[in-house]
Amino acid sequence: MTEIVAKPVGVESIAAYEREFGEKATEWAAILQENADKLKSGHYSLHWLDPQDSGWGRRARPSSRGLTYADVNQLPQSGELPKTATWLNFAPRGSIREPYRDRMPTVESYTVVDRDELWADNVITLYEEAKARQWNATRDIPWSELERLPDDLEKATCQLCTFLTEVEFVAGDFPAKWLYRIPQDFLEVKSFLSTQIMDEARHQEVFRKRAFAGGGLLHSAPGFEWALKAILDAPTHTMGTFLLNLLGEGLVLSIFRSGEMIAKTHVDKEIFRRCLQDEARHVSYGVLELKNSIDHAPDRGAAIEELHRFADVGELVILTAFSEPALVEPLAVLLGGGLAKIDQGMEGMAKLWSMFIGEYLQRCDRAGFPRDERCKIPKQAIWAR
Amino acid sequence: MGEMTPSETISFPSLAWFEMLAERMNADRARYEHLGYVDCIVEFAVRDARGPGRPLRVQVTFDEFSVTDVREAGPADAERADFTLEADPKAWREMIESIAKGKGRPGLDQTLNHLSHFDAPFRVCSADPLKRDLYFRYNQSLQEFVNASALCVTTFDVRP
Repeated sequence: MTEIVAKPVGVESIAAYEREFGEKATEWAAILQENADKLKSGHYSLHWLDPQDSGWGRRARPSSRGLTYADVNQLPQSGELPKTATWLNFAPRGSIREPYRDRMPTVESYTVVDRDELWADNVITLYEEAKARQWNATRDIPWSELERLPDDLEKATCQLCTFLTEVEFVAGDFPAKWLYRIPQDFLEVKSFLSTQIMDEARHQEVFRKRAFAGGGLLHSAPGFEWALKAILDAPTHTMGTFLLNLLGEGLVLSIFRSGEMIAKTHVDKEIFRRCLQDEARHVSYGVLELKNSIDHAPDRGAAIEELHRFADVGELVILTAFSEPALVEPLAVLLGGGLAKIDQGMEGMAKLWSMFIGEYLQRCDRAGFPRDERCKIPKQAIWAR
Repeated sequence: MGEMTPSETISFPSLAWFEMLAERMNADRARYEHLGYVDCIVEFAVRDARGPGRPLRVQVTFDEFSVTDVREAGPADAERADFTLEADPKAWREMIESIAKGKGRPGLDQTLNHLSHFDAPFRVCSADPLKRDLYFRYNQSLQEFVNASALCVTTFDVRP
């Protein structure tokens, strides 16, 4: 096994930081000097009082549910969503920023500059909905009502929660990885991705708590890990969003729905019902982000073929997670009603499998990505006779 | 949600029964604000309610934290709903009775998601998968919407 050693923030890193801001990027020092001189001389600039031709003065008016991004975006001075972002720093879209362009630094990590690599027509709606439908895993779940289950059902529940704890944070890490690469001009997308990160933190939290409330976490599994890695390592934001939001979260949505159905306590039902709502929002973003990307591709056919190549691999790696005994068996035990009825549970699972895949293919179609004939995931459960 | 005590009697299936649920939702705005926006038009369908092959279809418009419209769907309303939630009178009755028995909380096998997960006895239909997914996005609110049926005594016109 390779030994992993944490890299200390050492003298070298600090020296590099000193070189960067002390020798290479010194524009800030000139700005500081100018500002200090002005302040010392008692001379006010007051340039910020001049709105120039920005259109400043028209006021945003709230709609019935408050002041939304959609309300603000109606104002011409809020700035147009660019097709390609050229502002690779934090200067807000809609601010007077052109006169200062040459003196501003570039954030080199902002590499996702193409609107059609991240935009979805429902993203503003989903952001507002996400904020309005937040819930609290500590307070909103009636934990005190949790009943003790027979050992097999409790272990199956804890194992399912272990799987969900393991997978949920990839859906936080994936948007976080890309959030950092998306320029500020796409603020609506960044805002929505931030809610997704919060949602996934809460899911990881609630399933971890549920497991420990029932005895503890059980087994992690390598199959889960490979599926998560395939998501995290996706080559583009759109491809990863397809794999995470449309396929992965679509399947997890199905698991949440199944979890609610097979829950043996009202507490578990409430947990799954709350989570499935969040998951369905993420799926909706995934569908329309993919659609937007395909609809605006310069060569639609080539874009779809690239996505097919990616999906050919991604679907199979995701399937690895959904073939793990550490997932399939506890679900079957819960569905059947106990370890002794695992066979009946597997029959029910086979039925659900076909439904899950059918829904996945419908969502692909909705996005303009007909996957039916190339789908690598069997339409019938692999154990179905 | 706390335990509910019935205060009136309404027959099911009927437009009035769904109107009652809407009134209850609108009277309990604080609870629905806590749950968050609900923006969709749901068609609740009771198969064979008017006789064999003749369902009762009631469309409920959810907007933000309240219901803004309840109507029996006519031919002109066919495309209005985002999705339809349908079941036969027996399944509706069992669910409503379970909610009443639990004073606003259905039995484990009588929640909306449980009943619709296998497409039977309830079924969620929409031509558009994105619109069908609204059923999941607002599931807790829709559950609490029907849970409010415990606030009335429901009588049943159609025998299971």
